[in-house]
Order: sequence, then C-alpha cells, then structure tokens
Amino acid sequence: MTRERNRWLSVYALIVYAFLFAPIVVLIIFSFNKARRGLVWQGFTTDWYPKLFSNRELIDALVVTLEVAVVAVLVSTILGSLLGLALARLRFRGRGATETLLLVPMVTPEIVMGLALLLFFLQLFDAHGSLGQLWIAHITFCISYVAVVVRARAASMDPQLEEAARDLGASAWGAFRYVTLPLIFPAVIAGALLAFSLSFDDYVVTTFNAGVGSSTLPLYIYGKIKFGVTPEINAISTIIVAVTAVFILLAWRFGRLGGGREERPEEPAAEGPTAGGQMAEGQAAGR
Amino acid sequence: MTEHHDRSSIDLEKELTRYMIERRVSRRYLLERIALVGGAAALAPVIAACSTGGGSAAPSAAATPAGSAPGASSAPSSASPAPAASPEGELNILNWTDYLADEVISSFEDLHGTKVTQSFFSTTDEMYAKLGDDGGDYDISFPISVDVPNMIEKGTLAKLDKSVLTNIGNLGSEWQDPGYDPGNTYTVPYMWWTTGVGYDPARLKGETPASSKALWDPRWAQHISMLDDWQEVFGLTLIQLGYDANTTDTKQLDEALALLEQQKPLVRTYSTDTIGTMTSGDIWIGHIWGADRFAIQETIPDFAYYIPEEGGIKGNDTIATFTGSPHPVAAQLFINHVLDAQNSAQNTNLIYYMGPNEAAKEFIDPAILEDPTINPSADIVAKLQELLALDQGVRDEYLSRWQELRG
Amino acid sequence: MPAGPGVLARVRGASLLAPGVGWLVLFFVVPLAFIFVVSLGSRDALDRVTLANPSLENYVRAFEPRFIPTFLNSLRYAAITTILSLALGYPIAYWISRYGGRRKILLLIIVMLPFWTSYLIRTYSWVILLRDNGVVNSILQAVGIIDQPIILMNTDISVILGMVYGFLPFAILPLFVSIDRLDPTIVAAARDLYADGRRAFLHVTLPLTMPGIIAAALLTFIPALGDFVTPDLLGGPQTTTIAKNIQELFLAGRDWPYGAALGFILMAVTLVGTLVALRTLRREVVGGD
Repeated sequence: MTRERNRWLSVYALIVYAFLFAPIVVLIIFSFNKARRGLVWQGFTTDWYPKLFSNRELIDALVVTLEVAVVAVLVSTILGSLLGLALARLRFRGRGATETLLLVPMVTPEIVMGLALLLFFLQLFDAHGSLGQLWIAHITFCISYVAVVVRARAASMDPQLEEAARDLGASAWGAFRYVTLPLIFPAVIAGALLAFSLSFDDYVVTTFNAGVGSSTLPLYIYGKIKFGVTPEINAISTIIVAVTAVFILLAWRFGRLGGGREERPEEPAAEGPTAGGQMAEGQAAGR
Repeated sequence: MTEHHDRSSIDLEKELTRYMIERRVSRRYLLERIALVGGAAALAPVIAACSTGGGSAAPSAAATPAGSAPGASSAPSSASPAPAASPEGELNILNWTDYLADEVISSFEDLHGTKVTQSFFSTTDEMYAKLGDDGGDYDISFPISVDVPNMIEKGTLAKLDKSVLTNIGNLGSEWQDPGYDPGNTYTVPYMWWTTGVGYDPARLKGETPASSKALWDPRWAQHISMLDDWQEVFGLTLIQLGYDANTTDTKQLDEALALLEQQKPLVRTYSTDTIGTMTSGDIWIGHIWGADRFAIQETIPDFAYYIPEEGGIKGNDTIATFTGSPHPVAAQLFINHVLDAQNSAQNTNLIYYMGPNEAAKEFIDPAILEDPTINPSADIVAKLQELLALDQGVRDEYLSRWQELRG
Repeated sequence: MPAGPGVLARVRGASLLAPGVGWLVLFFVVPLAFIFVVSLGSRDALDRVTLANPSLENYVRAFEPRFIPTFLNSLRYAAITTILSLALGYPIAYWISRYGGRRKILLLIIVMLPFWTSYLIRTYSWVILLRDNGVVNSILQAVGIIDQPIILMNTDISVILGMVYGFLPFAILPLFVSIDRLDPTIVAAARDLYADGRRAFLHVTLPLTMPGIIAAALLTFIPALGDFVTPDLLGGPQTTTIAKNIQELFLAGRDWPYGAALGFILMAVTLVGTLVALRTLRREVVGGD
C-alpha cells in the first residue's frame, strides 16, 4: 500500500517540476531563435550568445542585479531569521504589534513602497537613486518573507530543547548555535531562496530607487518592450539557469546540502539511537 | 527639507553671480529654483563649483563654441566644427532600452572623451516620476512634446545653448518653431510618429480596411487589441465620432465611453506591447503606433498599417536636458551630436521611427523613407491630430472613464 | 512558556528583535509615513504634491464604484491562487521532505530555479504555450480533444495559471519547512491508530503542519492581492485589478495623493482581514502558534 502511494506521489512531483520548467524549456529554445523580435520561431542560430557578451549594458545590468541580490539576501536573511525566531519563541508585550509590522510591507502595493522610499531618500538625503538605495529597498521588502518562513519552522520547535541544552551546561550562544540554528536551518535557507528570487526579479520598487549606473536586469529588460525584446534576454536567462544547474549537479554529487536527517527513503522507523530522542520531541510537539 | 550647514565663509553673492554667468541662467530662474527645491539643494551645485575652485564650468564655457579640440578626432558629420572634449567626462541618459543607436553613443564617447551611462524606464509616466522636478541625476532624457510646456513652467528643463547646437539647422522647417516649445528653446524634437491601425492581411482574408471602425468589427472578435493608453484610445474614439481628440466636453467623453464599452467584448487585450501582441498570432487587427509596423514585419512580412480615414493621431517626443543635470556641457554636446544628419539617420534606421531631421533623409533606409505610413505626405499629416497635455480636471474626467471601462 | 531565566531572556529577546524591527521602522515605517502625508495632500496645477490644505478628502474619493469590480477581481484571483498553490504545493513539499534525503535543499533550489530568469521572458514563454496556435492548443488538437483552438490567453485561465505558477514556490517553501519537522514515527503511529490514511492525515499531519500552512497562505494571498503585472500581461479586458488602478493613479493620472489614499485603503482592508483570519485560525487550531 505504501509503495503504491509513494509512486503516485513521485509521479505527481515529476508533474509539478515539469510544470515549473515548461516555460523555461520554451525560453531556452527561443534563445536560439533567429528572429530579432517577436514570438515566432524563424530558424536556428547561436548568434545571440556571443552578442550578449559584447552588450556592455546587459552585462552591467546583470552584475548590478547580483550585487543587489547578494547583499539583500544576506542582510534580510539575518534580520528576518532573528525576527522570526523571536516571534515564534518569545512572549512579549509588543508581540502583536511586531507581527503586524511584519505584515505591513507584504501588504503594501509595490508602487506605494517604491515611491515611499524614493520620497524618503529624496527629501532626507537629496538622493536620486543608487546601489546603496537599492540595497536598502530590497532588504526592506525581503525581511518579512524570511521572518514568516523562519517563524513557521521555529513555531513547531520545542523550546524545551534549548532549555535542556542550557541545563546541560551550554551557554546562550552555544545553545543557539548547536541546537536552535540547526533546527531552523532549512527555514533560513528557504527564506534566503525566497529573498533572492524576490530581489532578482523585482521591478517596481527597483525602478524608483535605481540611479545612474545601478540599473538592474529587470529594468533593462522591461525597457526593451517598447521596441522589441530580443532573444539576447533569453540567452542570458539560459546562461543563468545553466550555471545554477551546474552548481546543483555538483552539489548533488558531492555536497551535503540535505539539511535533513540521514534517512533512507521509505524506512522512516528504522533509526537507531536517535529514535528515542525524536519520540520524546515528537510527543512534546504533538501536545 | 532644509539642511543646516555653515556656509558663511563663502562670499555668496559673488559666487552666485559667477555661477549664473557660467551656467547662463537668469537671476529670476535661480530664485525660482531656490523657492522650488529648497535653498541648500539649489545652491549645492554653486557651492560645489566654488569648492573645486570654479570647477569645470569655467573653462568649458569658453571652449565649447570654438574649435580647440585636444585629442578629439573629427567625425564624418555634415555641419559641426572640430569637436571639443567635454570637460565633465560623463553623461547620464535616461532612456528606453535601445532607443539610441549604439554607434551614435560610441561615436559620441570617442569624439568627446565622455563616458555615457544609460538608465532605463518602460513607460513615459515612469520616466517623469524618475526625473522628478529637476531631472535628478540625469543629463538627457526624452519627454513627450505635450508634456514640455508643464515641465518648462515647473523649471525642470534647462535652456538649450544654441551656440553649441550647430546642427540645429538640420531640422525640417516645420520643426523649427513648434507650438509646445517656441523656437526650440528648451528641447529639440527627437522622433515623431503616428498612431493608427495595423493588421495581418492573411488573417483578414484579403480585406483592406481603411476606417478605425474595423477595430469594432465583430468578425474579428477576440482578435482585436487596443493600446493600453487612455489618451490614445479616447483620442481614436473621439476622432471616429467626429470630435476633437482633446475635447473637454464630458458629454462627448460619455459617448466615447459608450462606444468603447460596446467594443470591449470584442477586444482580446489592451496592451502597449504592440510588437509582442501583434506577433503572437492571437491578434489579427490592432491599435498600434505606425513605426512598430516595421518591427512587426520582421515576423509577419505582409503586415499592413493605415492611418484611419476619419483621421489619426500624431505625436513626437523631444530630447532635453534638465536644470539639475550634473553634466550640462556634455548634455548640450550630446544633443548636438544627435542632431547630426548621419546620427539621426542611424537612430531612425534602428528603431524605425521617423526623425524631424531633414538633412538625415539622405542616410535613412529608403524603405522607411518611402513608406507613406511612416513618412506620410504633407496633406495626410494635415489630417492628423495631436494629443495635447490636458488640464488636470479634464485629465481626471478621461482617466476615471478609462478606469470604468477597464473595470 | 518562558524561554529561560528572566533578565537574560529579555536581553536575548531584545537582541533578536531589535535589528529587524529597527530596520523596518527606519526604512519602512518612516518612508510609509511620507506617503501617508502625501495622501492627505493634493495636487497643484502642475501635478506637484502640495500640503497646503491637508484633508482626508482623497480617502473619501477613493470609495468610487468603478473600483469595486477591480477589487473583486484582485480578491478572486488572490483567493483562487492561494487555494491552488496550497493544494498543489503541499504534496510536493511532502515529497521533498520524505524522499529528498540528503538532497532536500537541492530539490528546493530546483523549485526556485525557474524564477532566476526574467519574469518577462517567462511570461512570453507562457504566451508561446497558451496562444491560439501555441503548444497547448497544438497538442490538444493533435490528440483530437478539440477541433478548433480554444482561447486560453488573455482570460481568467491564463491569469490564474500565471499567478499560480508565480506563487507556487512561495507556498512550497514554507510548507516544506513545516512538513520537514514532522516526526515520521508520529505519522506512522497515526496511521496505525486511524487505520485510514486520509483520517490520519486530517487529524494528525495537517494540524501539525498548520504553522507552515498559515505561513504559505500569508506568503501567497497577500502578495497576490497586490500583483498587477501578471493579470496585466497575461490577462484581458476583464482581468483588471485594483493594484493596476492604484498604479495608474500614480503614474498615468499623476495624482500621488489619490493613489496613495487608495493604496492605504487596500492595505488597511488586507491587513485587517489577514489579522482577523490569523486570530481565528490560531484560536481554532491547537498546537499552532
């Protein structure tokens, strides 16, 4: 019985992944489209790839996008994870207010947030957009997402575990580092992934906070709509996918990025010494 | 909005006067700017110029009209003197992507030893939001003609230095003194266009419509597209009804709205991505800008475009520099560069839009030049109406009806 | 349940909260306050914001009947997208957690990978797939299910498809982090207890993963409500959203005060609705946080 259900589940997973990648396959195919503009296939060519490398503005835009995204992810993941943890674990008086504070950026329409930041920087610093401004803007809209994800994980974590570690002699930092952090680690990574995706593809907030020399890839690409989006854009997207895929493949073979317990699939009960600890934890969590 | 810094050590009156002479701004203009932007912000460039010992402004004011050109090669352009290196070394352009030919930019960079950085926007309204009240950090951008009078009044646009703009004679006579900017004092026209109807003849089975009513034809239901632009859409409809495209009569607007509501079930999409929608194959006939036809023809070779017999719309944009621009000298040089006949032609050949440049015509791709829809004859042009900048209250009337239509 | 001895816990609590809260207050609340002030103002003849006569007039004006259909559109799309994303995302999050083993995170990264390409090109790719002579229609016709192409683009179908596509990862990730916490022995025990897999799921697994479900719902519904690009690019005349109206007021209408007021009203409605929903869910679900 279990085996059959598992097979259906695996088939389902395959379908979902196919759904996620269907447009990507189209995107990659059309990066070889001979047509300069338009959505119709007009023959095969690899010309767009060398062309994009000589497109200074496109490459600059990609670099800026990555510069913004990396910083945004780092800072927002740290700040957001701390926030998520605090909201999940602590009871304090401003808790409701903090939770609301977390929700408001998500609730804000992008144009409102983009123009709010533009006004803020313009009036207070006479700034007209810059890389630094983009960092601040992106971090700001990413924090909430990370916090919500980390909170969900930390919420189902037994606080007694950390207390137990403290009782056993660990310092506050030690308990955090060796107990809490590993337990919320997948959520931190998930939050970081979300933050990266949000930052990488952002348009509205970015367009009002970018300045000279800080145009991102989305800004460059959307500006092309008026006069035709060329397959160079498909090409650069394909390269990004390919590079990431290579990393994933390497990690698949050699890495230890599982983040989960070393389980063998389909044999969940077959764990030795840790089973007892998990049972206790599970029972406490399942109150 | 006020900054508190100790500036008492500078003789402000003297520096102000020097700044005004160098930048060729009037006292009245400077005072207006101070009032608008806040004292410190307006004076900041003055202070900056002072602290760098008169800065870059002084030598350039003397150098630009003359021909002393250290290290600059002379370009194969028709009417400019030996070019001068721009002392500022940089130029910031705010632009659609691919709206200036790469060669035009790189030739400017080489000629004037200036690094050009482009930033992008995807709609005209976004451009204005980014420019703000004084252009921000941008030296060059492309406001639409109808928005120019307001920008002049707000003090956003900087006056052109005609002594630098030696190529300005290249403009066709009809462009020398446009209504929105008499004498081209602040702007120079960049590209102009018409808006009309485009269709794929194969899909329309040999029909050759000539009226904008074709966009209301139920035979093409679900294969019609309209521009996602309230002024263009209302303009087209008002003209079809026989009214002025810029009417202020709300009863006429209501009529137009009713007609558009009738059309709505037949429309597949409202979109300004004309090239994308027309080449997707789902749209057979659409409301488009004329020049897009060439881009679409790269995919659909027989794609046709016409200006409706009831009348069509024409418009143009301009190239301008701003009062807050950090590199005013380079900006003026760039505008002159764009006015050069060959450069203008290169731009036209890239984006297919027609420029106002008479001298450029000898370099423009003949297919574009001879196309009566891109380059219509004078009598057709006379039938075209221009979309004007509407008063705030009137604009609200249009926009609220537009939102009602789209809801 | 306090997490440790008094003072230390408070200090630790403060250090956890201070950076994030401080950042949000400085770089979000303050800028938002600027826009709020704008919403109280009006325009001068040249479309500049003036605070000469501050008032709540824009808020009153915002209650226009023409915004109701677009608001309902936004609500409808957000709700459907959330439900579908949760329903479709849960099984795959479960699969990754149960069968991913050492490679769980990699499988998650693969889920996110499509979104590191340009949004516009992905949308164009959907056009290529969904248009009248597109891939989907061609396949359906080749297989014989239909004779004529069905109109998929520029409809509710394409909008919802596009939105689910865009928000699915936002559901999968939070669902995963919660499902991953499930102790498999508990699940096995539940199955023994209930003898019926479905009831075991409903009574044990689902409640235990409720924090993840709530998080996924938040991360899907709220941004979906404010999404105007997807309905704009993939939609047609009937799919206009309130977010697009707001955008239009700011940019095409050059009426920042009015746009800001409408924006704040949308924010208030969404916030109140979300908080009410959260409180209700938390009261009803035991063990959820």
